[in-house]
Amino acid sequence: MLEIKNLHVEVGGKEILKGLNLTINSGEVHAIMGPNGAGKSTLSYAICGKDGYEITDGTVTFNGKDLLELEANERAGEGIFLGLQYPVEIPGVSNLNFLKAALNSLRKYRGEEEIAAVDFLKLIRAKAAELEMDPEMLKRAVNVGFSGGEKKRNEMVQMALLDPIFSVLDETDSGLDIDALRIVADGINRMRSPKKAILVITHYQRLLDYVVPDFVHVLADGKIVKSGDKSLAIKLEQDGYSGLGINETAA
Amino acid sequence: MTEKNHFDGINYADDFKSASGQLPGADIAWLKELRQKSIDDFIKVGIPGPKVEEWKYSNLNALKSGSFKTGLEKSSASDAAGIADIKGSKVVFVDGFYNSVQSEIKNQQGVTLQSLNEFVKSNPEKAQALIDGQAQDNSLRNLNLALMTGGFVLIVDEGVKLAEPIQIIHVVTSPAADKSLRLRNLIHIGKNASAQIIEDYSGAQDVNCWSQNVTTAKLDENATLEMYQFQDQGNETIHMSETLVDVLENANFKHYSLNVGAAMSRTEIKPTLKGENGNVELSGAFLARGGNAHDVFTHMKHMMPQCDSDQNYRGVLDKGGKSAFQGKVYVAKDAQLTNADQSNKNLILDRNAEANSKPELLIYADDVKCSHGATVGELDSEALFYLKSRGLDTLSAKALLVEAFVAEVYQDIEIGAVKEKYLALAREWLAHNE
Repeated sequence: MLEIKNLHVEVGGKEILKGLNLTINSGEVHAIMGPNGAGKSTLSYAICGKDGYEITDGTVTFNGKDLLELEANERAGEGIFLGLQYPVEIPGVSNLNFLKAALNSLRKYRGEEEIAAVDFLKLIRAKAAELEMDPEMLKRAVNVGFSGGEKKRNEMVQMALLDPIFSVLDETDSGLDIDALRIVADGINRMRSPKKAILVITHYQRLLDYVVPDFVHVLADGKIVKSGDKSLAIKLEQDGYSGLGINETAA
Repeated sequence: MTEKNHFDGINYADDFKSASGQLPGADIAWLKELRQKSIDDFIKVGIPGPKVEEWKYSNLNALKSGSFKTGLEKSSASDAAGIADIKGSKVVFVDGFYNSVQSEIKNQQGVTLQSLNEFVKSNPEKAQALIDGQAQDNSLRNLNLALMTGGFVLIVDEGVKLAEPIQIIHVVTSPAADKSLRLRNLIHIGKNASAQIIEDYSGAQDVNCWSQNVTTAKLDENATLEMYQFQDQGNETIHMSETLVDVLENANFKHYSLNVGAAMSRTEIKPTLKGENGNVELSGAFLARGGNAHDVFTHMKHMMPQCDSDQNYRGVLDKGGKSAFQGKVYVAKDAQLTNADQSNKNLILDRNAEANSKPELLIYADDVKCSHGATVGELDSEALFYLKSRGLDTLSAKALLVEAFVAEVYQDIEIGAVKEKYLALAREWLAHNE
C-alpha cells in the first residue's frame, strides 16, 4: 500500500530524514518508535504533504501513485489521514461545519455527490457516540477550549468519519490519561481492517498494549535502525533506547 | 473661500443652482431656506482633502471637480428583493429615489414609516423639528442636506415594539452614471420602544457615481435600535454613509456592518451617549481586494456617566485591497464610570495589501475603563495545513478561515437570515476573487 524508499527530508535547510525505507501492506499495523528528534513527526508530515518539509531525495508511493506530486488535500482524497500530536485550534469554525466541509471535500475529490445535511448529521452523531464524544462538542469551535484528551478524541471522531485507507497517528497518545488512552486505542482499533493500514508513531510503549502492532520499527537519526515485532517495543520499554546503542540526547 | 486643506466646493454651486428648483420640497419655504443655508455653509468649508486628519485614508480628489451632478430623474424599478425570509416592511430606493411600486409598507399601530418627501408634506412641523435640530457642523453633511432627494422616516412611538425588522433596500442602476445620489433618513425610537433596521446597498457594475447618505437617529429613554448595514455597491461607486445617533438614558444602540463592494466606501458611525447607563455596540467587517478601499470611521462620545460602548471591527485584505479603521472615543469630564472598548483586527492575505488602524482616545474623566487594540496578521499556516490534511483544497481552507475570522463579530446577531447572509458572503468572497 505505502512504499517509502530512500527518503531524505530537509526542514529549514537541515536534513532530518536521511534515507528512510518503509513498506506497509494492507491489513498491517506498524509502529514507529524513537527518541525525541529522531524525525518521527517529520516522517508523518512528509507522508501527508505539509509545506516546509522539503523532499531532497527518494520516493513515496501510495497504491502505486506518487504521493510527493500531490497536495496535502489530494493525499487526503487518496485516503490518507494524519492524526496530529497537537490538533490545531480554529476559532470561529464549528466542529460540525469543519467536519462537513472535510467530508464533502473528500467526496468531491472522489467524484461523489455531497452528503445530504440530514444524512451527515446522522452519521456524525453515530460516530461521536461510538467514541463517547459529547454531541455538544460538535457545535463548538474546532478544538478551542478542548482539553488534551478531548482534542485527541476529536481526532478519532474525524478519522472515523473520514474513514481513511491509511492512517498516520503522530503521537496521538501523548499527554493522555488512561481513560483517554483507551478511547484513542479504541478509535485506532476500529480502523483495523484487511483493506486498511495504520502507522502509529509513538514515544512510549504503553499505547501498544492496546493497539497491538504487526511490526515495530525504531527510528533514530533519520533512519530506521531496527525492525521487529511487538517484542521489540517491550524490549525498548525495558532497556530504553540506549539498550539498542542509541544515544537519545545526541539524536 | 474654503477651509485649510479642503478642496474648493464652489463647483457644487452650479449643480445646486440648476437642481434646486426640481428638488423635492422646493415649494416649501423652510426647506428651501435650509437647503440654501446648507449649500452656503458647505461652500464656505469645502471638501476635506487628504491633509485633513479624519480623511487621510480616503482621498476625495474625485469629488473636487463637482462632476457628479445630482440625479433628478426617477429610474424604473429594478431587482431589489432584499432578504426573502424577513417579512417586515420594505422601503426601496432606486438611484436615490423612493420607489413606491417596489416598496411594501406594512402598517403597525404606533409606527410611522414613510418616505421623507411624503413625510415633509404630511407632517411639516414634525419634519422641520427633526431636520432643524440636527448638527450642521460638517461640510459633507451640509452638502447632503442641500441636495438630498429623499430618504425614509421611521418613528416608533413610546412603548411600541416594531413587529418585524424593516428592510431598507438601495439599488443603483445604470442611469445613475456620473450622478450623485443623496438620501437623508430620520429615525426616532420613543421611550421603551424598539426597532430593527436592515439596510442593504447594492448596485450595477461600471456605474461611476457617488452615493452619499446621512441617517440621524434619536433613541429616547430605554429605547433599543439595531441597525444592520450591508454594502456591496458596484465597482465604480463611491459610497458614503454617515449615521448619527443620540442615545438617551438606558437606551441601547447596536450597529452591525459589512462592507465588500464599491471603489471606495466610507462608513461613519457617530453615537453620542447623552443619558446615564446607555449602551452602544458597533460591530463590523470589511473585505477589500484590488479596486476596493474601505474606511470605517467611528466617533463615540460619552457625555454622561456609567455608559458602556464596545467596538469590534475586522478587516480582510487580499491583493491590492486597502482599508482604514479610525476609532475615536471621547469621554467627557462628567462621564465617570465609562466603559469603552475598541478592537480592530486585520487579516492580510497578500503582501500587496494595506490595512490602517488608528485608535484615538480623548479622555477627560478620571474614573473610567477604556481599552483599544489593533492587530494585523496573516492566515495561520498550521490551521491551513490542518484543514488541507482533512481534504479541503487551499481555496476552501482559506475561505473557511476567512469566514471564521469575520464570524466573531457577527456571533451575537439574532436575526438568523442576516447572520447567514453575512457569513455566506464572507465564505464565498475569496472564490469570487479569481
